Amino acid sequence: MNQIWGSMEQYSTLVWHWPIAVYLFLAGLSAGAAMTSLIVKWIEGNGKPPWDGLIKAGALLAPLTICLGLVLLIFDLTRPLMFWKLLIHYNFGSVMTLGVLGLFIYTPLSFIYAAIKFKPWLFETGPFAGLLRPFKGLLDKVGDNPAWLERTLFLFAVIIGIYTGFLLSAMYSYPLFNTPLLPILFLASGLSSGIAASILFGLLFFKSEVNEKNAKYLLELDLRVVPMELLLLFALFVGMYFQGGDKAIIAVQALTTGIWAFVFWGGVIGVGIATPLLIAITALKHHAYRVGYILLNSLVVLIGVVFLRLYILYAGQTFVG
Amino acid sequence: MAKKYGMIHDNNLCIGCQACNVACRSENQIPESVYRLQVWVKQEEYPNGGLGYEYHRQSCVQCENTPCVSVCPTHASYKNEDGIVLIDNDLCVGCLYCVAACPYQARYVHPVTKAPDKCTFCHESRLARGEEPACVTVCPTDALIFGDLNDPKSKINKALSERVTYRQKESLGTQPKMFIVPNHKGGIRS
Repeated sequence: MNQIWGSMEQYSTLVWHWPIAVYLFLAGLSAGAAMTSLIVKWIEGNGKPPWDGLIKAGALLAPLTICLGLVLLIFDLTRPLMFWKLLIHYNFGSVMTLGVLGLFIYTPLSFIYAAIKFKPWLFETGPFAGLLRPFKGLLDKVGDNPAWLERTLFLFAVIIGIYTGFLLSAMYSYPLFNTPLLPILFLASGLSSGIAASILFGLLFFKSEVNEKNAKYLLELDLRVVPMELLLLFALFVGMYFQGGDKAIIAVQALTTGIWAFVFWGGVIGVGIATPLLIAITALKHHAYRVGYILLNSLVVLIGVVFLRLYILYAGQTFVG
Repeated sequence: MAKKYGMIHDNNLCIGCQACNVACRSENQIPESVYRLQVWVKQEEYPNGGLGYEYHRQSCVQCENTPCVSVCPTHASYKNEDGIVLIDNDLCVGCLYCVAACPYQARYVHPVTKAPDKCTFCHESRLARGEEPACVTVCPTDALIFGDLNDPKSKINKALSERVTYRQKESLGTQPKMFIVPNHKGGIRS
């Protein structure tokens, strides 16, 4: 305590820490994986069992990652035992409440969708087959291609992906958060991470069930989303710069100052965007199917998205003008 | 008619003595190392080379248009009928969305309840007894003026009609009810 007015420790602008960044990553990944699984499933000929390994990977990742993220989120509350109050008290003007309501629909749908994709394992071969058998009839009623369920799941995956951006952009205390492009950037990078995770997970655990054609399709899709992220980042910072005043200063600081500028150029741009593009124009040129490089490609995309969430969260709370 | 409490901090009368800070701590039993109110003293050099001091009251500015209440998912943060922004600890889950969303850094996490806490204009204690907030009562130079903005005859409305005032970060549209009389010397840095 050096000043006569007392300790200034409480005035740190850094309020939300890494668990929030990891949650934002996992929620985006979950939404992206659900979308990925549905996109592959909706391709002509993929709409019936046995399901493609990539459909299964995305279907499994979606509920697992969102649950992991939510557990992390609950334990990050300063009053974790009170978390249930979030479930029964609503403020419809709060993005957090809207997120809770979205998750009420998204999470169960993602579980049902996954259950359809893992029916034989759940009811016949898996360790819980005996326990779960009574529910088989219920799931059979839903069928293998519940169009309403799949469309609703896709819609809510988009909502979950975009809400993680609005959660931050709703705060005008932080100029780097408070930009209209952030939700779109989070949706795009969420989709990108969902595609990458599905490819990685599919090729590692359901390799024999992965159709090469579908893997190539997803790889190409990811290579379209990654440049979009670059464009969104570019527009975000240039847009802030042109707003002038504090915002221009913050945009420049966030790209040039300290550890977070390093994370941005090295992690977000270098690892997450430049590396996959480089792999695409070299090792995977002409859509070569080289599993090692495909896995590497997916891994760097995922790491890049983790860096992006960490960067936005921390740089946003560090550079406040 | 409902009341609408506001306050004036007169930078020309303030001497940065921290009597308000101390009174707030004792009246509201604020735990060590956290503060509802501080007065930051900043040395200024004026264009003619003269020295002076700027005083910044660091506390909740009691916005009319409250970012903290808007983001709170459970309505734990709310504005009462007298325009005072308060926290209902029973509803708070500790997500700290309000702490992050406040452009004035008015909130801190109470070390015991783990819920955010902030200036309440002494609403639960002194105000309820018809007295002025502790900071206003102890100010030796009368740099703080408190009152009902809805009452044309109130002390605060009289002062607001006679003195030049501004509010912090007015461009955000938060409509604070904390008015500042800027130092007559030098420039205004809002």
